[in-house]
Amino acid sequence: MHAYANPTRFLAIARPLTPWLLGVGLLLVLAGAWAGLTQVPGDYKQGETARILYVHVPAAWLGMGGWTSLALAGLIQLVWRHPLSGIAARAIAVPGMLFTALCLATGSIWGKPTWGTWWEWDGRMTSMLVLLFLYAGFIALTNGDASGGGGQRQGGSLSRGAAIYALVGAINIPIINRSVVWWNSLHQGPSITLRGSSIDNALLWPLGLTLLGFSLLFGAIVVMRMRRIIADNRVGARLRRLADDEGN
Amino acid sequence: MTGVISGSGQWAYVAAAYGLTMLLTGAVLWSSWRAMVNAERRSDALRKDRK
Repeated sequence: MHAYANPTRFLAIARPLTPWLLGVGLLLVLAGAWAGLTQVPGDYKQGETARILYVHVPAAWLGMGGWTSLALAGLIQLVWRHPLSGIAARAIAVPGMLFTALCLATGSIWGKPTWGTWWEWDGRMTSMLVLLFLYAGFIALTNGDASGGGGQRQGGSLSRGAAIYALVGAINIPIINRSVVWWNSLHQGPSITLRGSSIDNALLWPLGLTLLGFSLLFGAIVVMRMRRIIADNRVGARLRRLADDEGN
Repeated sequence: MTGVISGSGQWAYVAAAYGLTMLLTGAVLWSSWRAMVNAERRSDALRKDRK
């Protein structure tokens, strides 16, 4: 891991990887959406609205997985001070927030015909909304200028405060995961666990395609945003060197 | 059967969920791609100027 915590080595892998992540991710998402909309039957109780599952579940998975990765990157930044870990945390924040917002929006759209309401202040939805606010706070904290303001340090890495914020925010992830078990509410209990799935295989298989596809697209967004931050850092460093040369 | 959701209006909710997901994911993919290409172009141009 230490060997690859270097922007130049990272770029040597990231450049050829980006089009593959984008291409395969798009193909899988389109195939999963096509299968989910046309190749599986409607649910016997929820009818056609159950097809929202194929976009809602990947969004939830990536919203939570995104913050878990962001907290891990924050921990690596705090312990080993790898320059890439702070860059990775900043790159994860926007797609993480996107998929959290999509999870809330698609869940709300699913809730209206199923529960008769767009929103319910229950454990699952409220803790997911808290995650959205955590992402917004992290983005605001790390959007300081490259001179080291706010939650960002020179070189694009995180300040200690931003890394601790990422770690503290991770407390919300098990709360989201267990919320449907701890509090009985409109939201259904866990359908997919380590022991198996309560969803019939006839309805389940397109979910594998969209889960993998959206995960690859998430990876593509993170890699592209990391490449952008590294390029901006290099421009900033060169401009500072030029200014120093002219000053001397 | 009681409690069964039926009717053609269900597809409007499905279309809204899929449309929103594709639109927002596409927008973030596109903006990330554009920002990356522009930043790497600026970085390359500055490196060539220095040589």
